[in-house]
Amino acid sequence: MRRVWLVAQREFLAAVMNKGFVIGLLLMPAMVAVFAMVMPRLVNAPGGSQIRGEVAVIDRTGQVFDGLRTGLTPEAITRRRTEGARRALENAPAPVRTVAGESSDATIERAIGAPPAFTVVQRTATADVQNEKRWLTDTTPENGPRHLALVVIHPNAIAQDATKTEYGGYDIYIPENTDERVETNVYDAMREALVAARVRAHNMDRAQVEAIMRVRRASSVTVTAGTERRTNVGFNRFLPFIFGGLLVFGIMIGGQTLLTQVVEEKSSRVVEVLLSAVSPLELMAGKILGQMIVSMLVLAFYVVMGVFLLMSFAMLGLIEPVLIVYLIVFFLVGYLVFASVFAAVGASVNEMREAQSLITPVMLALMVPWFFAMPIGRDPDSAFSVAMSLIPPVNTMAMMIRISSTTPPPFWQIALSVVIGVGSAFAAMWFAAKIFKVGLLMHGKPPSLGTLIRWARQA
Amino acid sequence: MDSALVLRDVRKSFGSTTAVDGMTLTVPRGKLYGVIGPNGAGKTTCLRMIMSILFPDSGELSVLGKRSALEAKDRIGYLPEERGVYRKMKVGLFLTYMAQLKGVSRDQAAASVPRWLESMNLPGTEGKPCEDLSKGMLQRVQFIAAVLHQPDLLILDEPFSGQDPVSVRLLREHIVGEHRRGATVLLSTHVMANAEEMCQHVVMIHQGRKVLDEPVVGLRRQFDRRTIHFEPIDSDADPSRLRSLPGVERVEATGEGYTVTLVEGTDPAGAIARLAAAVPPARVELARLRLEDVFISIVSEGAPGSEAARTLRAGLRAPGAEGAVA
Repeated sequence: MRRVWLVAQREFLAAVMNKGFVIGLLLMPAMVAVFAMVMPRLVNAPGGSQIRGEVAVIDRTGQVFDGLRTGLTPEAITRRRTEGARRALENAPAPVRTVAGESSDATIERAIGAPPAFTVVQRTATADVQNEKRWLTDTTPENGPRHLALVVIHPNAIAQDATKTEYGGYDIYIPENTDERVETNVYDAMREALVAARVRAHNMDRAQVEAIMRVRRASSVTVTAGTERRTNVGFNRFLPFIFGGLLVFGIMIGGQTLLTQVVEEKSSRVVEVLLSAVSPLELMAGKILGQMIVSMLVLAFYVVMGVFLLMSFAMLGLIEPVLIVYLIVFFLVGYLVFASVFAAVGASVNEMREAQSLITPVMLALMVPWFFAMPIGRDPDSAFSVAMSLIPPVNTMAMMIRISSTTPPPFWQIALSVVIGVGSAFAAMWFAAKIFKVGLLMHGKPPSLGTLIRWARQA
Repeated sequence: MDSALVLRDVRKSFGSTTAVDGMTLTVPRGKLYGVIGPNGAGKTTCLRMIMSILFPDSGELSVLGKRSALEAKDRIGYLPEERGVYRKMKVGLFLTYMAQLKGVSRDQAAASVPRWLESMNLPGTEGKPCEDLSKGMLQRVQFIAAVLHQPDLLILDEPFSGQDPVSVRLLREHIVGEHRRGATVLLSTHVMANAEEMCQHVVMIHQGRKVLDEPVVGLRRQFDRRTIHFEPIDSDADPSRLRSLPGVERVEATGEGYTVTLVEGTDPAGAIARLAAAVPPARVELARLRLEDVFISIVSEGAPGSEAARTLRAGLRAPGAEGAVA
């Protein structure tokens, strides 16, 4: 045991005490942070590309043009944007609302850029559409206003045809490379103008119609034995992804490093020097243990960061502490299964290139439950989900996804999954130890699966 | 005397190849044994089985009184033929780690590492990563790793391969030093001269079988009864007078005199008398057997001039031809 511990210690230090590890550890959160900060700025580069140009309108009804022109003024556009932002905030969690509520309309405007400056030009109601389409592509005069769009309002847009219940709408033609915001703005303004015109045509009060149409979507309240809290739909949907991902990620870090280390020890021939001091089993156990500590350190780092993040948004209550306990348990079980396989593969090949073909199915097995995180998370008690969470080697990840879903599985299933996991960990270690013993001193042709099984039998 | 090492009818084959075929060997405690044989003879497989890195298909082993080396690992020092290091690890840390694995405390190891590096002509390398050292230097580092814990049994597989003559001498001194300290030493080499000069006892292996197991002293007493070294007083003496003597097959000039080969069955005592009578000698003596000759005469079954024997002889001299797995 002393030797196992010494090997583990060396493994741990060799993995942790280098720049690559620290960089790797910080890289992911750094990338997320950069992404979160830079992306919105890139999407709505403020002021940078204000849209300017002409929109031509053929109004076959003769009743919509004024409304459309009003709807495309900068004031109207700003008003609609502000309303959109308000509605979005209503669904956001309380802390986000508090922060955002402090920002004025001016701040919003600064964040999303100046509204487009449209010049709306009216054509005659009987104008020829083909003719006007040519206007769209006509670039003379050289520095004149850009021709952004041609809008043709259908004659039945306000009054239905006698036989149909549907109203007519409008067509929009645009030249190549037109900013999609042009279309969006025209649609928003057109919608307002058409609804207003139709309501007028029926002698109704627009405000009343809108009030009749509006039903606020209720956000649910999650009721537990003693408490009630607002359900956070988005967050709950992501939890299985996050926990499944953490598990897969943690196992992968440890497993991959283990694989590379074993291959390196074998190819640099240091392994026979080691084998004069430790038995193959001690060596394997030490390496698996060492990398396990590394992986747990990484996982702990991310979990603590996640907890801090949640605390800063006062959302810590959304995570049950028992989830972290399960994460540790399932990490240990899943890691032992996969790490044994990684170690065996490392011991049976001469270089990393040869390991690829053997490691691909292992990687797939590791990733598969995560690919299915969505269906499992949404329907955690389906036959598929239950089967996935009980069949090794995918059971640990699948069960973790089920546990972190909105409907956690019954405890007996969790316990069964752990028992199955521990059993398969023992089987994997037994198999790996045999391969390890035979493979370490084998050089030459990389073995096939059949050869590996033969090794396991002869060892 | 109780034995450091006992092998009884040990066999090992890889697929259809028999690497070791019925090896029986006893190495008493405190002896310096040489295992010799050409590349591919089965030396490394033997040593690996002694170390319990490989396991015999049949036969029995006892190492330092235990049934397996696994039970006595801390008391054994092993320098494998295929030796490597952690390339990024510092030399000092590597040695300390190896010593710790062998049961030496960290403080004790850290204290003796600089002393050893100094004595192996590797001063100032303690803080360097292993990848910065030359191949020869690394081999000496690995030798230190094998002896740092003062083992009772030291097993060295081709310790001189890839070393320059100065390092070979240094290594020899240290190996002899370990032996003097009381360790039983078993070293394998395919360069017979090394074994001949250092070992008390040699074991020859050929094609997985033991073909000789004798003390070097006894071997040295054996003479080649057909070869006489002859050095005349007068360096200008006419060698043709030697050639014409009865019983002389061939006379070849060497740097200092002549090597006289006798016809098979000639009595060497009479021949020496006749040679001395013909040309006054400064020195005349029967040639001593060299290990190489012994080996070749054994394995080529009395056809020392054959092509196979010449190839073997070349393999037993060339220190460069290393690396094949025995």
